[in-house]
Amino acid sequence: MSNPSPKAHLVRLAAVLVGVLVVFLIIKQMVVPDSWNYEEWYREGALALNASEPLAYGGNESCAACHQETNDELAEFKHKALSCESCHGALADHVTDGVKTAAAQVDDESTWQCLNCHEARVSKPEGFPQFDKVAIKEHTEIEEGMLCLACHTPHDPTP
Amino acid sequence: MKNMKKIVEMEMPSIPDSRREFLIRLLEGTATATVLMVFGPGASAHGPETGISGSLEPAKHNYAYIIDINKCIGCGNCVRACKRENSVPADYFRTWVERYVVRADGVYVDSPNGALEGFEKLNKKFRDNIQLSRTVPKMCNHCHNPPCVQVCPVGATFKSPEGFVLVDHDYCLGCAYCVQACPYAARFINPVKHKSDKCTWCYHRVKKGKLPACVTVCPQKARLFGDLNDVESEVSKIFEKDHWMVLKPEMHTDPTCFYIGLPREVV
Repeated sequence: MSNPSPKAHLVRLAAVLVGVLVVFLIIKQMVVPDSWNYEEWYREGALALNASEPLAYGGNESCAACHQETNDELAEFKHKALSCESCHGALADHVTDGVKTAAAQVDDESTWQCLNCHEARVSKPEGFPQFDKVAIKEHTEIEEGMLCLACHTPHDPTP
Repeated sequence: MKNMKKIVEMEMPSIPDSRREFLIRLLEGTATATVLMVFGPGASAHGPETGISGSLEPAKHNYAYIIDINKCIGCGNCVRACKRENSVPADYFRTWVERYVVRADGVYVDSPNGALEGFEKLNKKFRDNIQLSRTVPKMCNHCHNPPCVQVCPVGATFKSPEGFVLVDHDYCLGCAYCVQACPYAARFINPVKHKSDKCTWCYHRVKKGKLPACVTVCPQKARLFGDLNDVESEVSKIFEKDHWMVLKPEMHTDPTCFYIGLPREVV
């Protein structure tokens, strides 16, 4: 019986290392996404994933598609710079696939939507039209629980 | 004196040699490390610093977001729109508004429910002696050099070719390293998806030619979004003439979210 080769342990070690390398490469092949970008280190498929989120807000141009008249009138109004959806809510809550599903929500039974912007706060810029709560109370004393909308048009709230 | 010099020379003959050796080795080590850093496997993984843009087409757009503090009224329209547009769960915010109150006795900051319903009036006692008060919208700064991208162990957060810092929801583990890394506290773990979540500058909207939801609804045009490569765009014009600032410049994150009229008390 001949002695085992003095280099047998090295061969075994090399075999084990090659085996580990092969397993590593197989696992790497399996877990690295196909569209992996090695330069910037991200999965390119994630861009499409992010872009596929549904839209809720359409912008004024979407509103004008049906409400062209109102949109044209607005050009002259005080609140012309405002987005329709600031007060009327998101397009997706009103229209789905071009079909009206629900009335555009606007809170016309309380004053919060007016006061949310126009109630006086020290943090608001000086030039912004804002009214102190006490002044508003005195101003609306005529009737209990009087709404701003009773006198002011929301699209063109000139005094 | 003459003797002493002789002794020194005699006793330490090897010092110049070993120093030379040491310096040569040090040089070799430094050179190797530099070569590895510049050309090594992980070199281009994380950053614009290397100047390697890779196989991507050169950026056509240079998007910027501008927030004008002197126009913001703290109405919270942006916060509500962001919540609706991106289905952000209750008590979590991709954008929020902070109210800074500067008084002689200190700086006070509040953001009740992220300013989802605006701000309550400050009480009379507190309102006196205010030196300055401003509402400051906050969000992801979409940094050129984002710390959140550097720390992600699986490459699930990244800077898109257009400059948006985005999250790959399919590969995010929810380990929250990025949440800790963000100096602007813009990230959170979405309690529904259990994934990292943040402002995307409404990537899905911008891709379809719309503005981000917060920009769309802002009644004061305090929030603007546009392309700095387009010299005719509103942001370019403002960017040129105004004294803009960024949040936490000392962090060297190089944000693309610029503030106008930012009081120095704001952090």
